[in-house]
Amino acid sequence: MELLTGIFVTPFVQMVTLPDFFLQVLWEGFVGGVLYALIALGFVLIFKASGVFNFAQGIMVVFAGLTLVGLHENGVPAYLALILTIGVMGLLAILVERFVMRPLVNQADIILLMATIGLTIFLIGLGEFIFGGEPKQMITEELGLPTGSTAIEIGSDGLLILQHIDIAAAVIAITMVAILGVFFNKTRIGRALRAVADDHQAALSVGISLNQIWAIVWFAAGIVALATGIMWGARSDVSFALEIIALKALPVLILGGFTSIPGAIVGGLIIGIGEKIGEIYWGPLMGGGIESWLAYMIALIFLLFRPQGLFGEKIIERV
Amino acid sequence: MYYREAGQFKTSYKTDQAILPLREDRIGLMLSLVMAVVVVPLVSNDFVLASIMIPFLILALATIGLNVLTGYAGQLSLGTGAFMGVGAYACYKLTTIFPDVNIIVHILVSGLFAAAVGMIFGLPSLRIKGLYLAVTTLAAQFFLEWCFIRIPWLYNYNASGAIEVPERRGFGDLILTGPAADPLTRYFVVLAIVIVFTLAVKNLVRGRIGRQWMMIRDMDIAAELMGVRPLVAKLSAFAVSSYICGVAGAMFVFFYLGAAEPDAFSITLSFQILFMVILGGLGSLHGSFFGAAFIWCLPIVLRTWLPAIGIDLGAETVFHIAQLVIGALIIFFLIVEPHGLARLWQLAKEKLRVWPFPYG
Amino acid sequence: MSAVQDQAHTSQPAPGEVLLEVDNISLSFGGVKAIRDVSFDIRIGEVRAIIGPNGAGKTSMLNVINGFYHPQEGTITFAGKTRRNVRPYEAAASGIARTFQNVALFKGMSTLDNIISGRTLHMKTGFLWQLIHWGPAEREEIANRRKAEEIIDFLEIQHIRKTPVGRLPYGLQKRVELGRALAAEPKLLLLDEPMAGMNREEKEDMSRFILDVNSQFGTTIALIEHDMGVVMDLSDRVVVLDYGRKIGDGTPSEVRGNQDVIDAYLGVSH
Repeated sequence: MELLTGIFVTPFVQMVTLPDFFLQVLWEGFVGGVLYALIALGFVLIFKASGVFNFAQGIMVVFAGLTLVGLHENGVPAYLALILTIGVMGLLAILVERFVMRPLVNQADIILLMATIGLTIFLIGLGEFIFGGEPKQMITEELGLPTGSTAIEIGSDGLLILQHIDIAAAVIAITMVAILGVFFNKTRIGRALRAVADDHQAALSVGISLNQIWAIVWFAAGIVALATGIMWGARSDVSFALEIIALKALPVLILGGFTSIPGAIVGGLIIGIGEKIGEIYWGPLMGGGIESWLAYMIALIFLLFRPQGLFGEKIIERV
Repeated sequence: MYYREAGQFKTSYKTDQAILPLREDRIGLMLSLVMAVVVVPLVSNDFVLASIMIPFLILALATIGLNVLTGYAGQLSLGTGAFMGVGAYACYKLTTIFPDVNIIVHILVSGLFAAAVGMIFGLPSLRIKGLYLAVTTLAAQFFLEWCFIRIPWLYNYNASGAIEVPERRGFGDLILTGPAADPLTRYFVVLAIVIVFTLAVKNLVRGRIGRQWMMIRDMDIAAELMGVRPLVAKLSAFAVSSYICGVAGAMFVFFYLGAAEPDAFSITLSFQILFMVILGGLGSLHGSFFGAAFIWCLPIVLRTWLPAIGIDLGAETVFHIAQLVIGALIIFFLIVEPHGLARLWQLAKEKLRVWPFPYG
Repeated sequence: MSAVQDQAHTSQPAPGEVLLEVDNISLSFGGVKAIRDVSFDIRIGEVRAIIGPNGAGKTSMLNVINGFYHPQEGTITFAGKTRRNVRPYEAAASGIARTFQNVALFKGMSTLDNIISGRTLHMKTGFLWQLIHWGPAEREEIANRRKAEEIIDFLEIQHIRKTPVGRLPYGLQKRVELGRALAAEPKLLLLDEPMAGMNREEKEDMSRFILDVNSQFGTTIALIEHDMGVVMDLSDRVVVLDYGRKIGDGTPSEVRGNQDVIDAYLGVSH
């Protein structure tokens, strides 16, 4: 009985009696969700254009963040470091295309996935070799990103605290999604991208260069990774622990579908808000810390009922 | 011309279907067994046995376990570490509750718990495939890891949160586990278990059950239309794989680590085993040994050899370099030889078959 | 005892009797109607062809028969048992085997293993025997190997016995796939375009095998084929589908004279 109350009554009573705290939890979940969505967005970009599930997206976030901070630590001015980091991500995209994607074209999905897992461990090794294993502080102020916070009064004695960097993160994420949306739908490269995603052979036959397209999407994913790295780094720090968190983009993608940009956003928000609320209101029942697996369980339950994701179409299997 | 099948005629299906139909392969296997049973114990010191050979064999067993699932049945798993953990914690609890039962029995039984957990997390594989399944196994990984931390009963409410291997004797009064156990004793126990398991898995994969796994892996729709029940085939793969991983996990703690915290079974371990499978070769048992040996020994080799050639780096840097090399090698192998070291071995044998001529 | 025998007897109808009856089957995917109210039957020992233009619903029909698609309406009666929805492995267990339009061999296995895999339903030894691969497990393995070798001899593919099927040319892959289906010793063999993409010589070989299977093993065969010459030569009766509807049914010569069929093939607007 006590357990049932704990599950079905107490959390909701808490939500209603402390609405400002509930809003705060929602906001935290929202911001976390935006960051998951950003990582998922990187996955979607590459998956859409090449059918490759890029397991390394999470480590690309860390790698981009580390490069930025590492360059700054060695005396490069912040904005120059930012530009140089973009250059590094571009170089990475070209190298990945040349040495991973191109030789593996037309291989089975599982082989490509494992290749990106190999890329992940390679980048971890490389990143730690160059920058060392310790966490680093993100150069938030040097980049001109807002710090500090705003408190909003709610009702008579409620208080909602919004970190400025979180607001910036949300704004940047939305802008990025908008730009990508336009890029995909309105530009020539965007159309070529979609053509490649539909059918490699057919795209080749109308004169689209696969190699060029792949390099471009990996570069785009690299820039998304850099933005994610900056935002995430500003909230905590830049470290390889992020890699584990980045795995949560997987359940996000399950919810949103592997090819849908809006799906990545919605999925990210569901996971972000869902796991925060779960942790705060139901976590204590189970001893806390359920955030580490709740996202996967949500995705798993969801999968059992809708294997094709929120926005995916039902696949008719053919033989 | 040292390795050839010419002149070796099979007069019955039985000899043609033997594990190693070729005489040269049988001799090779005998030599490796002699190496493992006689030469290694004679020439190795305690360090080599305890820090190289024992973990290598145990990880090779875990690799075989994952290979059953991923290499033979085609179901990707990122939760191997957690399934190994289930075996380890189960064994720890069993030996706490029944201290007088032989620890080997406990180890074998603890695999059953891992198998049960593996089957539960394998259930979604009936509806979902590929990448989606990876998420299921990630759910298993993080959920089980959480259990290892949050359920104090599992580690007997130790203040450290770790499980510590108690001293257990068996086979007369031989100390098998615990700090006082002799590395040579542990080595022989581990070796015996690994040999028996390898043989059993070989039997499974060359028979009806293994064939059904491979059918599901290669073309699940066709398999079903040939009469394979996906439920049975997939869950049996999950069960066998998790059982082996569970046993390997229990051995990992009881014969190698001696004590383990929950993060011993983190996703890092899952990946490590996955890399061993990929490098060794998907769907290859001897490849599992190659893969495990390679990934386990590379950092050790780098650590001992780099200083010898005048490059002196910290232990951590060496570890990072090893990671870098392994990552690059995984990509390299997937590109050049998706069947891993096992395939290279086969190519070498094909070359030997016609040596000294370039073509046969 | 005798009751069991009686049952076994009734489920094994004599030549000429109806083996499979397709009754008012309708199948749709969302709004797309793939099959509309189609009925026909297949008699024991005959070669039955299913023809029709692309997208007529031929493959969908086979998928319904072996339980891969589940029709919204209608029933299938096979060997005396009526059903609408079965799982594919249940259909296989009841004695239906098939080949696929696009070769669906087990790419990671050799020819021999592929053909033995067709004998899945004939292998039953338990897990523990499998673990030691000895006694019953080994005897079963060898007995089924012998059966598989008979198929290999029949199809004249001894030389590629141990070759991984991925390395075989297309024509041979098709032949191995036929072998895999035959290995199951089915009552009804469904062949989905067994000669697609083959040259003249390969088609002749395949036609010969199909006729041999039919006459030597007495296997009932339903096949989809586009090559009209082949269809007319091989089949006893033909059913014609167009846009999911049945527009013709009868002997090859009857069907050839059917005005609807001629229209469908020459393209009269609908």
